[in-house]
Amino acid sequence: MLGYYLRLAFKSFRRTPGLTALMAGAIAFGIAACIVTLTVYHTMSGNPIWWKNDVLYAVTMDSWDPKGAYDAAHPQMAPDQLTYQDATYLYGSNIPRRKTLLTLVGGALSGAPDQSIPLSVLTEATTAGFFHMFDVPFEYGGPWNAVADSGPEPLIVLSREENDKLFGGADSVGRTILWNNLSFRIVGVLNRWYPQPKFYNLTGGGSGDFGRPADAYVPFRWDAILHRWPGGSMGCWGSGHIDTFEQLLNSECVWITLWVELPTAARRARFLDLMNAYWVQQHQQGRFQRPRNNHLWNVSQWLAIHGVVSSDSRLLLRLAFAFLAVCLINTVGILLAKFLRGASLSGIRRALGASRRQIFAQHLIEVALLSLVGSLLGLALGALGLLGVRAMYAHSYSDYGAAAHFDPHGILWALVLAALSTLLAGLYPAWRIGRVSPALYLKSQ
Amino acid sequence: MPLNARPVLSALARNRTGAILVALEIAIALAVMVNATWIVAQRIQDIERPTGIDQSNIFALAIAGFTSDFDLGSSERADLAYLRSLPGVIAATTSSAVPLTDIGQGNGIWRQPGERGPEFDVRSVQVDTEALKTLGVHIVAGRDFTATELLPYTANQPPSEVLVTRSFAHKLFPDGSAVGKAIYGSSGSPLTIVGVTSDFIGSVMGPPSYDQLVYAQQPGGYGMYFCLVRTQPGKAAALMRIAERHLAADNPNRVIFEAKTLGYYKQRLDADNLNMVIFLTTVTALILAVTCLGIFGLTAYNVSSRTKQIGTMRAVGARKSDVVTWFLTESAIILSAGILLGCMLALGAGSWLSSAYALPRLDPTYLALGVVLLGAIGQLAAWHPARRAATVSPSVATQTI
Repeated sequence: MLGYYLRLAFKSFRRTPGLTALMAGAIAFGIAACIVTLTVYHTMSGNPIWWKNDVLYAVTMDSWDPKGAYDAAHPQMAPDQLTYQDATYLYGSNIPRRKTLLTLVGGALSGAPDQSIPLSVLTEATTAGFFHMFDVPFEYGGPWNAVADSGPEPLIVLSREENDKLFGGADSVGRTILWNNLSFRIVGVLNRWYPQPKFYNLTGGGSGDFGRPADAYVPFRWDAILHRWPGGSMGCWGSGHIDTFEQLLNSECVWITLWVELPTAARRARFLDLMNAYWVQQHQQGRFQRPRNNHLWNVSQWLAIHGVVSSDSRLLLRLAFAFLAVCLINTVGILLAKFLRGASLSGIRRALGASRRQIFAQHLIEVALLSLVGSLLGLALGALGLLGVRAMYAHSYSDYGAAAHFDPHGILWALVLAALSTLLAGLYPAWRIGRVSPALYLKSQ
Repeated sequence: MPLNARPVLSALARNRTGAILVALEIAIALAVMVNATWIVAQRIQDIERPTGIDQSNIFALAIAGFTSDFDLGSSERADLAYLRSLPGVIAATTSSAVPLTDIGQGNGIWRQPGERGPEFDVRSVQVDTEALKTLGVHIVAGRDFTATELLPYTANQPPSEVLVTRSFAHKLFPDGSAVGKAIYGSSGSPLTIVGVTSDFIGSVMGPPSYDQLVYAQQPGGYGMYFCLVRTQPGKAAALMRIAERHLAADNPNRVIFEAKTLGYYKQRLDADNLNMVIFLTTVTALILAVTCLGIFGLTAYNVSSRTKQIGTMRAVGARKSDVVTWFLTESAIILSAGILLGCMLALGAGSWLSSAYALPRLDPTYLALGVVLLGAIGQLAAWHPARRAATVSPSVATQTI
């Protein structure tokens, strides 16, 4: 029976090729627009470390000016970074299973063989926990160990891209290189790692929320020893003028992110207790004069409070669905017209003994075939559209075009959309034609 | 022809579903078209807002020392001397920020000391005394810095003379001239406004803004500084390569990076707006096209399914023009219903957009233009099938198909 219905469908398409192309084209455009916007949206709203979403927490405390909030538009929010004194105090706690401090510093790499001029490298001053907590993949070697953090030992981890530039992609572990004119031993080279968005560092500065991760990683304390000024964003308040690095370390400037790994609710509660006790103690000493606002943010909350998904992409997603709706309504209208025009044929088939169900099935198969063609076309158009998006966003600040790949997710969406469109567009016309009274059409023959 | 209204309506009533669907399509199309055009207009306005600087002929370089031998002050002086000596260079300045990027700093400013009264957010920049010439910004009131007013980067006290843009001056002192007035940062010591400059977009945080404050001081925070160089037209990119190579070789104690023209940064700043314009225009055009095809398809179907009726009408005396009018009236009724619904949808979507995306409220002119445009295009789409209907021969009435 299926073969027969398919043959009927093909016959029907051949009768009205223009109309058929128009409907398949409309479905294709609708689906393509949805795929493109959905993929961009998915990329932006993705949680690149979802498997640790309720284990990793970013820490915030409101150390800001009692006269005004850190962010006037969101007065209930604490600064999204910590002061040096608060970050290092909380980092000292043994409650978290793992923990890491992060701040961006500028740097220069020199002294590699065949290197003529120093290379500027965006460096993440961090701790060994960074690599373990964020499941950072290594191509060669591995992270430095925790002892190297307190030394600090002159150890450095390079990104894959930087290792390609300096050593032509060879295993450089064990070699020494000059970072800011000091000898550092390379302990590891990262594999390709490009989390989208760059969830662990959304505080501005560097390459932006969707930019590339740092070029090099050194133990956090080198920053304080070398007096490298923050290369990421930094917020300061108060009248104290900051001229020396010591003044910065003792200041109320916020420039450090602290992530802690708290796998159980009990540990989370204990860590919050520690923060609260610290807040009370500091409050009594005259700091923390704003209302207490100690907070642990899991990864998805951290992404949400930083507004990583641009409102543009949310708007475009809605627009794409409005467009798909128009395309589907259009298809329903044309199908209805087309089916009713062929009603006399259906009338004859009914008169010859076909049931309503069979007429319904026959037309539904025609619609399904049409949607299939439309969806395949839509998939191809969507892939083209994504190429276009990548080209369009090549110059953008937000740079998420680089990640707008045609991933399995996009294909899945396309299939779901196609199935839904078929149902939406085809059910009513197919049902309606099944209800046609055969007598009426036989009479007029 | 008013006498045709009844047959038109009754024909419509017999084929309700198709008409309702097309009307719905028209409604959504109108709502999308009007609001998308409104958003596009805003974005184009953003893109076309003058930066106030000669961005296509300026390039920027970042310079950071990384050895203990690096001396910021002498490095800055040497770089400026070299850059200004380059043939083709009009002016050069050191700077703590790069216009049209988010590299820079923001401050709070008060009209009274001690952070009393309202706070004014401003982007501030430390520059050399040749800064205005480099940027292509001019003085509109007061005066520029003099060479003796340039503070070294080691200065422990903040500068006492500043320039502000015209927009920021107006915000601070709406009732009179800002020149000679004192304003206050969080440190509390007075900053005297010596001059007011033409508006320009310096470093940006969030939306680009003309609120800018300029100090004459060697930039030195973070152990680095930027050089901004203005060249003769068309020479920026080439001179940038030459300068980058020379400065990197000149002093091994530092790295040169982020060598970019401000034209590049302007493009990057506009990219999101431009993309939005492209995307919205494309989808709007597609929606319009699909809607027109829908109207065309419905009318064509109606014509072909009523061939016998048309023949009968012609046989009993209807002229060709009456047939055309019949179908055009029918499509006009559907269009009007769709447009009416579309107006409500468009206004609803507009007010939702303005509250959810902080967009200015939809200008009714856009709605009116949208209605006229969609009405015209819609009737045009129905025109061809209606013309075809007129060619149906009266003899059809006597045939039994």
